[in-house]
Formats: sequence, structure tokens, C-alpha cells
Amino acid sequence: MIELRSIGVNFSGRDILKEVSITFHPGEIIGLVAPNGTGKSTLMNVIMNYLQPNSGKVRFNNELEYTTKKNEVKIHKLLSMMPDQSDLYNHLSGKQHLKLYSSMWDSNPQLIENTIAALGMESYVNKKTGTYSLGMRQRLCFAMQIVSDTQIMLMDEVMNGLDPTQVEIISQILVKKREEGKTIIIASHLLENLEKYANRIFFVKNGNLDSTEDIHRNLGVNGNMVIRVPEGTPELKQKLSVAFPELDIQLLANSVILIEFPKNESGTLENISAFLNENHEHQTFSVGKMTLSDLYSKYYH
Amino acid sequence: MRAYFKFEFIQFLFNKKNIAIYVILLFLACFYALKIAPSYDPIEKVDRDEIEARFLTREDFLNNVVIDENSYPLTRFAAAIYPEWNEYDKQRLDALDSNRLREYAGSTYKWYEYSDYMIFRNGNGLLYYNPRYYTAGNLYATEDGHYAYMYSASRYKGYAQGDSELSMDVFEERTALQTLQRLLHGYLPIILLVCCILFTADIVLKDKRNLTVIKGFPISVWRRLVVKGGVALIGSSLTIIPLSIGFIIVAIQHGMGDLNLPVPIFSYEARAFTTITMGEYLFQNVLLMLFWFLLLISLLLLLSIQIRHEFANLVLGCVVVFAEFYYYVRGLGFVKEIQWYPSSYVQVGQIVAGYREYLNNSASLTFENGIAVMSVCTAIILLVTLIISKTKRFKYL
Repeated sequence: MIELRSIGVNFSGRDILKEVSITFHPGEIIGLVAPNGTGKSTLMNVIMNYLQPNSGKVRFNNELEYTTKKNEVKIHKLLSMMPDQSDLYNHLSGKQHLKLYSSMWDSNPQLIENTIAALGMESYVNKKTGTYSLGMRQRLCFAMQIVSDTQIMLMDEVMNGLDPTQVEIISQILVKKREEGKTIIIASHLLENLEKYANRIFFVKNGNLDSTEDIHRNLGVNGNMVIRVPEGTPELKQKLSVAFPELDIQLLANSVILIEFPKNESGTLENISAFLNENHEHQTFSVGKMTLSDLYSKYYH
Repeated sequence: MRAYFKFEFIQFLFNKKNIAIYVILLFLACFYALKIAPSYDPIEKVDRDEIEARFLTREDFLNNVVIDENSYPLTRFAAAIYPEWNEYDKQRLDALDSNRLREYAGSTYKWYEYSDYMIFRNGNGLLYYNPRYYTAGNLYATEDGHYAYMYSASRYKGYAQGDSELSMDVFEERTALQTLQRLLHGYLPIILLVCCILFTADIVLKDKRNLTVIKGFPISVWRRLVVKGGVALIGSSLTIIPLSIGFIIVAIQHGMGDLNLPVPIFSYEARAFTTITMGEYLFQNVLLMLFWFLLLISLLLLLSIQIRHEFANLVLGCVVVFAEFYYYVRGLGFVKEIQWYPSSYVQVGQIVAGYREYLNNSASLTFENGIAVMSVCTAIILLVTLIISKTKRFKYL
């Protein structure tokens, strides 16, 4: 369990994290979502004690804090952070990397073979990592953390450079690790993927960690139906706003027009559909609940 | 910790720079063994022709000189000192002709002792050591000759009294062990210390290139540094492997030598030589080198976590090794307490042999003092490193 207590980080007068207090429990996958440079990595660095916060403290399993160097070693036995693929030792093989992590955390050596098999790394794991593609390196970094078998795992952009099949395989492994009682914190931009397996997702904005549940609630869109209109234009949005003044209509950064209709009053959907067919020809639109991507675009709009 | 040591050691062995250092050392060792060692031309060599020429000249003089009240004082002096001198030369020639090497050693010991006594005490500008000591610009030629004759006397005495197998190669210090002794007396220690600096300069800072892989390891900074220091120490000690190739080549050419061969050790206090065995001499050299390695490694580890720049490590490491060249003046130890500077002990072979005591007119530049000074310096540096690494706010790279 990780407990963040009033964590504040300030760089050159700018608050990166502001009084962040939150607890992450065993058997949880936590998603951290935010545009680049908003504090996701800073939060992970604070958890690892690579960065000392200006205020607050991090507590592990209700007993351990970064008060001494001895404690830091104890905490790092419980905790691992996925390495950056550009930091791999190019002259060592993938298997040597895995053995290194397994031996450093004194985990079950059988995990090495199991992880290689689970991630389909058999064909290249004995080759030097200098010959690996970006995706292969990324898989190796993920595998390294899996073989370390720590109670808490921090992963920054774990899905970067992976094809959809690999994303799916890694997602399944993450779910399995959650079932083993691990606490996994993932920073990712693959929102749909994250939405599938994360127990809780937080958006980082203005130094705060906002749970998506709270955001839904605060925005009043919890469980709301939305119409998503791709390739929207400011003109179309303007026309929609004039035609349906009672609805909340937004043009998101990804050029999607999001039309919320909290109460599906009779005829509204049909009217919108007819309007779009008339004014936005040859384009499809979809109706459904608000996705994480929609919420993200709306939140950071 | 064992896993981390294994990892670091593999890193060390596969480091291209380290491999290059070992290869260069191998090349230098082979070059020395094949090119330089065979052309070694000692001043104090076994030269039958020279002995015979000197003997015959003096014998002729003694047979023909008439000493009376009109004789010139120098003629009287020569007539007084040559008989004993010639007796020793005669014994040397006879021993050489009948290949009785231990007898040759015994008479040569006496010859050197008598020669040094005559030249240094009674020479008064009339008698000289081997002319090769009197090179241009050498203000201390007489002192050099005096040391060399005392050294040779002690050495030959050791040969005569010992039971080592003797040969011309042993007399001219050409065997593999004696070549190693000469190298330790020369620049080999400095070469090895520079290698140690090159091995250690990046042993911490290389982690910057793979920081996210190693930063979160559950091992304290102090233990990391201890492991890295251990790896650097082993790596520096492994320089013995390429050097041993050269050693074997010399051994094939001139014989291995004997660990019981006498090595003369000068004592400034006694103003005289005693001998220790070659085994003891090499052991003391190895010990002093290990303390040097420890001092340099601990210094560079401290610099690595404080200055965090490889170039600074190289420069400051070299400053420690080469500092003696900045302040060394012959006889300085008589007026300055240079025995407190670790850099005064950089010529490891010369320290063990007591040559530095002779050069510096100081009874304090001893092997024991060298060990003590370097132990204290290393302990202080390690203590500072330990305190820094245990500081709560300290960050490893």
C-alpha cells in the first residue's frame, strides 16, 4: 500500500504537485493520465524517492517512509519502476537483463522463463539488446519489471511502441499481476486500453490528482449519453449550438464534436440525427456513453 | 550484493576502454620482453675482458714500480691500494675461468666493497666509479656510483652466501624475476597506477548512461560504491595477466630466477644495505601497490559522487600520482617532511628497496610509513564517502 500525504513539488515557483494526498491499495491498477509535462513522472519519481518533495511524505505498508537511506533500500525491495528502453545495456542480451532484475530483487528465477514465454520473446531474448527494435526493447523493459516481482510496480508509458497484439498481452499480464495483489501504477496515453483494466484513473492537472469518477460527477456527465461527431468544424458546432441551444455542445481538441443529452427526451436524438445528415454529409456519428478519451479531451480542453 | 558484484564485474570486463587498456598493456609487455629487455646493458655487468685489462695494467704497474723516498705520493698510494684490489680481480678471473660462480660472487662482493671504500672514502678526485655514472649534467654521479657499488656488494654477498642457482643472467639481473624487480624500481608502478585511474574514472559515472535500469536497485549507495571499488581493485590487479605474458617471454630467454635471490635494501639510518629475498621484495611491492590502488579507487569514488565528472577524476587522480614530480628535489627529505605525502611513495620499488631514503636523505620514506600514510588517507576518504552516501538528501547521480 502506498500512502501519499500532502505531497507538494515546486519547480522554479511553479507547482507541479499541490498537496496531493491519496492512497493506493494492493490489488489495484491505477491509471495516471495527463498531457506531457503535467506531473505524472514527477509523482512516480517522488514515490521512488528520486525526487524529494518540497512538502509531504510517502508511506509504504503503514510503516516505511523515506526517512533514512536504510529505509530507502527496504522500500526499494518492495518497489520497482520500469526502466526506460533507451537506458538498456546494448551489449547485454535481453535474458541477461532479466537475470539481473531477478537476482537484484531475489525473485523466483522461474519467472524469467514464464515471462519470456508470456511475452513471446523467445526468438530474440538471447540476442544483444542493441539489435532490438523499439517494441522489443519496450517489451523487455516490461518483462524486467515483471521478473523483479515487486509488490508495487510503477510503469511510465508502458505501452509505447507496442502493436495492438502486444498491448493486449501486456494488459492481460497486468490484470494477472493485479490478481496476485500487486499495486500497479501506470502512466499511459492509451486511454481506451487503460479504461479496460484500471481500477481507478486519475487526471493530473494544475498539480492535483483528480479521479475520473469525481470529474464525471463534477461535470455532471456521470453516465450521460453523448453523440460523437468526428471531423467537426467550428461552423458545424456553431450551427448545432444555434439549433439545439438546450444541449451542451463542445468541439474537442481532436476535432470531435461532443453533444451531451442528459435526458433523452423523445425526438431529440432523431432531430440531431436529421440535422447532422443535412449539415454534415458523408460523415458518420456515434451514440454512447462518454469515453475516457472524451472526458480527457473535455477536461483538458 | 553478490548479484550486483557479478553484474558490475561483467560490465567492467566488457567495457571497451578497459579491454583496450589490457590490450595496450599486453602489447607493451611483449614489446618490452622482446625488444627492450634483451638490449638491457647494465653498468655493473660481468665483463671478463674489462676485469682482465684492469688486472693486467695494475699487475704490470706493481711489477715494475720502484717505491723509494723519491716516489711521487700518488705512485705510493697506487702501490699501496692496488695489491688487494688486484687480488680480488685475480680471484674473479680465476673463478670465471673455472666457472665457479659462487666464488666469483664472493670475490666480486669483496671487490665492490673495497672499490667503494677506496673511491668514496679515499678517492679524493683521483679514483672514480664506472665512467657510465658520470653522464653530462649529473651532479650526483659519485653518489650514484657509491649507491650502485654498495648495492652490488650487498647483492654479490647475498649470492655468495645464498644457495640460489647462479648464472650470468642472475649476476646481470636479467632473469624474469630480476627484470620485474628492475621494472618495479622504474616506471612500472606509475603505469599500473595510471591504469587503475583509467579503470576507475568512469566506474560510477558510466551508470548515467543506463540510469533508469540501475537506479532503483534495492542496494544502498555505500554498498554500490564498495562493490564498484572492489571491481576496480580486482580489475587493476588483473593487469598482472597481460604483464605475465612479457614475464614468461623473459623467463624463456633468460630464466625465471629464484624467489630466494637476495635483493639489497638500503637503510638510511644504518647507511648500509641488508638483503631480503626476492619473494619478500615482491610481496612488499604488491602490498604497497594494493594500498595505492585502494587510495586511488577510494579517491575517485568520492570524486565521482561529488564532482561527477570523468575528466575531473582523471585529472585529480593523475595529480596525486604525478605530484612528486612537482616537488621532488634530491635530498628534499632532509629539510621537508615529505614522508607525510602519499605521492612520495609512488615509486613503489624504490621505496621498498630504500633507494628513496638514499635519494631524499630521509630515514622516513620507508615501506612501513608508506603503508601507514596510505592507510590513513584511504580511511579518511572512505569515511567522508560513507558520511556523504548516508546523508538523507544525497542522490546517486
